[in-house]
Amino acid sequence: MHINSKLYRVLIGLVIGLFSVKSHAVLNVFACEPEWKALIEILGKERVDVVSATNAFQDPHYIEARPSLIVKLRRADFLICTGADLEIGWLPLLLKKSGNQKVLATQPGHFMASDFVKRLEIPHRHDRSDGDVHAAGNPHVHLDPQRLLLVATELKNRLIQVEPEHERFYENNYRAFKTRWLSNMDRWKQQAEPLLGKEFIVYHRNWSYLFDWLSLKELADLEPKPGVPPNSRYLTALLSKTDSTQAKGILVSNYQNPKAAHWLSERTALPVITLPFTVGANDDVQTLEGLFDAIIDQLLINGEK
Amino acid sequence: MKQRILMTSGFALAMVGASACANEFNPDISLVLDGTYKSQDTALQNAEKGFSLGHTELAIEAPVDDLFHGRLSAVLEDHEGKTEINMEEAFLETTALPYGLHVKAGRFLSGIGYLNGRHTHEDDFSERPAVYRALLGSHYFDDGINASILMPTDVYWIISAEAFDGKQMSGQSHDKSVGVYTLSTKVGGDFNTENSWQVGASYLHNRLTELENEEEEHEDGHDHEHDHGDHAGHSHASHSHDVEYQGKHLYILDAVWKWAPNGNSKEEQLKLAAEYLLAKDPNQYASSDDFQQGWYFSSSYKFQPEWTVSVRVGQVDLSEAHGDHFHRQKLDEANLALTWSRSHFSLIRMMYTHQSSDDFDNDGSALSLQYQMTLGAHGAHQF
Repeated sequence: MHINSKLYRVLIGLVIGLFSVKSHAVLNVFACEPEWKALIEILGKERVDVVSATNAFQDPHYIEARPSLIVKLRRADFLICTGADLEIGWLPLLLKKSGNQKVLATQPGHFMASDFVKRLEIPHRHDRSDGDVHAAGNPHVHLDPQRLLLVATELKNRLIQVEPEHERFYENNYRAFKTRWLSNMDRWKQQAEPLLGKEFIVYHRNWSYLFDWLSLKELADLEPKPGVPPNSRYLTALLSKTDSTQAKGILVSNYQNPKAAHWLSERTALPVITLPFTVGANDDVQTLEGLFDAIIDQLLINGEK
Repeated sequence: MKQRILMTSGFALAMVGASACANEFNPDISLVLDGTYKSQDTALQNAEKGFSLGHTELAIEAPVDDLFHGRLSAVLEDHEGKTEINMEEAFLETTALPYGLHVKAGRFLSGIGYLNGRHTHEDDFSERPAVYRALLGSHYFDDGINASILMPTDVYWIISAEAFDGKQMSGQSHDKSVGVYTLSTKVGGDFNTENSWQVGASYLHNRLTELENEEEEHEDGHDHEHDHGDHAGHSHASHSHDVEYQGKHLYILDAVWKWAPNGNSKEEQLKLAAEYLLAKDPNQYASSDDFQQGWYFSSSYKFQPEWTVSVRVGQVDLSEAHGDHFHRQKLDEANLALTWSRSHFSLIRMMYTHQSSDDFDNDGSALSLQYQMTLGAHGAHQF
């Protein structure tokens, strides 16, 4: 480790940090997940400078409060995350360590997307023997375009609250997005019509909102309990008690280990469908629109059979 | 978090449009159950031979208002057949000071070194490294105040200063208003998505080394029959957090490096950590040859979501005070641990410890089995 060069960089950074005039030109945004980075960039365009704490290959439940994230949050004017306990293991610690008043829970600069939509799977029983269930319900809300539009509406309102002087800018961007998004939604619904009522086996319950929107059915989970990795005993039981002939495929997201899905696939001849879970999952999925395009394409390839 | 929601689940169900956890006033409660079976006693040990309860901890934590956050943790420990309750943490901290400032007051874990500020149940081993057990009583906490500043730099850089009473360091009361001062700094960042690092340097000034030796001198002066070596067999040694091997000036260097494919630490992660500790001037009779030092290097590899294998090697080189002179003691220790973690909330660990030394009586090899179960609030994922 080059301590000297590190020290040098630190000193340079300090000098820049101390003497740079704080610019109000753009809103510095800290997004917990790539989908929210993509959404706020649509509404904020050149007025926002966004960093995402996680990438499409990371499981957002399991992130460490790394030094680099503390620094990024310290610089932020606005925080956008999923909420509903998804980031419970790391966001509270980041907030505490970064000491940034602008993004504390009491401030308008603190935006939790799942607060603004009706969440699914709110458990009636709160017992850890049911696994790492989120008492606030399933947090993976971004995979329903309808709910995403609701979040976009609230986000637009919040950005205007933070920067009232740019109301027209945010309104215009939002309106353009809404028009485009509604027509996309019509198109996706039409494309996905052959999938209606089809059943799939999933790795983890992170597709519930997508299924809710497209009226797909979840036949089984590969995880014995939410957050507990698949094991062979459970999979064997699953194999014997599930009539897998009904299912169209096994869904895994690209940050999940596909081993269990392949194991089951070999024994059932069901295809493993690796779906992008969020923006940035592969070269074709660089926007929210591209994300839904890719998901529906992948489902159609296997689901129509 | 779960407790909060338990009591208000009906309310949460009815609520859409507000976070289900933001409006309750119930604190987060967590209970850590910790127990060990160990085949043999080892030198400078925390856990005794046979079955024992380790760090069974009950913690309550919550924001106090928009400016303060509070935490209390009580640890149940067995000491000579009696169960004692020790308060390890009872502090408030600020959450909204400007300029990256942060203040903590009360009883808390000192932020020196890499491991010291962390709770022991975050470790990948059943016991802290030998150098921590000897020089910091496993983990040094005390009554005092901590002020830190997160520098406005692109690289993570934090500087913090602490003032402590020192009672937990010396194990006795004294008339100084401040017994221990510390100053520490940490710098860290990401090399890229997969690799992250942090390095730190700390200094601890212990004003109580002479005070303690004044008393020891009295005892030892009359009765010059001191027992050589073996502190761990001494009934006082296990579970006591008093520091056995002190120094007026303690210096710590620490470095951590973590790697995970695509930065996804759920599936696979490699952690490397190393620390070096040097304590000078054990008391007023010490010459420049009398000092305490030690190091450890640890490596943990999570090769599957539920399984972690960890290896640690380390050494301590100590000066045991006997009135006006010292005896050198040296101990080498190696640990191999395998941890199975069903979920965030449970783990079972097997650890093999091998020690070699010419100066401790009960150095040797031991196999230990440990469980750690967390009930209640979700713990934080610290770096």
